[in-house]
Amino acid sequence: MSGAKDTADVPAKAPSAADEFWQGVRDELPLMFGVIPFGLVFGVIGIESGLTSVQTILLSSILFGGASQVVFAQLWAGGVPALILGSSVCVINIRHVLYSASVASYLQHLSLGWRLLLGYLLTDEAYAVSIRRFTNGYSGKFQHFHLLGSGSLLWASWQTSTIAGVVVGETIPDSWSLTFAIPLTFIAIIAPIMKTRAEIAAAVSAGGLAIIGQPLPWNSWLVIAALGGIVTGWMVEHLNGTRRGNA
Amino acid sequence: MIWSLMIATGVFTFGTRFVMLTGIFGKRLPAWLIEALGFVPIAVLTAIIVPTVLIDPVSQNFSILDNPRLLAALIAIAVALTTRQVITTIGAGLATLWVLKWLA
Repeated sequence: MSGAKDTADVPAKAPSAADEFWQGVRDELPLMFGVIPFGLVFGVIGIESGLTSVQTILLSSILFGGASQVVFAQLWAGGVPALILGSSVCVINIRHVLYSASVASYLQHLSLGWRLLLGYLLTDEAYAVSIRRFTNGYSGKFQHFHLLGSGSLLWASWQTSTIAGVVVGETIPDSWSLTFAIPLTFIAIIAPIMKTRAEIAAAVSAGGLAIIGQPLPWNSWLVIAALGGIVTGWMVEHLNGTRRGNA
Repeated sequence: MIWSLMIATGVFTFGTRFVMLTGIFGKRLPAWLIEALGFVPIAVLTAIIVPTVLIDPVSQNFSILDNPRLLAALIAIAVALTTRQVITTIGAGLATLWVLKWLA
């Protein structure tokens, strides 16, 4: 991380709150290449799925989680019962508990207001850059401003790219099959992170169960396939006796 | 209905981000739970990808041969593994799908 090294060159002066905030913004910048197109795609997908412009835009600040928003839109378009839609979205977002646990020791001393704000901003992308800052040991008493910076940039770019997608999406004809961008987005997210045998086993069983489970009532295949994949991955990992390097 | 769903899932999602910052549950999750949570994105997203690719959105038929979406998805996987970028992956997959539909 070159950004962190820059600060290490001046150890005499502890980073100020503003330093930390802008460091967070700078560290988050490269991720905009992925976030902005994804936000655009979500805006388009929201409209194509039958959400109104207002619903699509507000979902980006209420849920503030790309994959779960896309699932929300897709299941809403499919006329899935509310309980299944809700539990599917929740299952996807449960991973944030991991991030929350991971940053807790760095944020626990803050006021309730700060913790509420930083909790809201704790997305995959903001967590990814700020946890590196926290664990690299350059942190001073203003280190939480780093997460404020990375999270704020992510929030602002996610909202504006969603709005742009909504504007564009209303003019795109159905024949472009743009809803196919949904599975493509997910492929882009998981293909690069799939490494261990256990992860591959989780994917294969989740995919298989999703096909076999299609005739099940209330579209319950999604929750069943997700849980089946998680259990399979966990079991394979333990049968192998290997440890995952990254959580 | 949709507004209550948006708010309910939003509150839950915020809860998943905030829960460990409350300090109520200590700082450490049980190891088995951390491991299981690590499989969530892969399991959920694959469960969505596979049927969308293999089941025709119009006819609802399962198909592997003569399925333009499958070929587009395979190209997208290759592009995702090489570029690691969302936008190039979507671009390659959609372009493949359009070309195959145009040829058909």
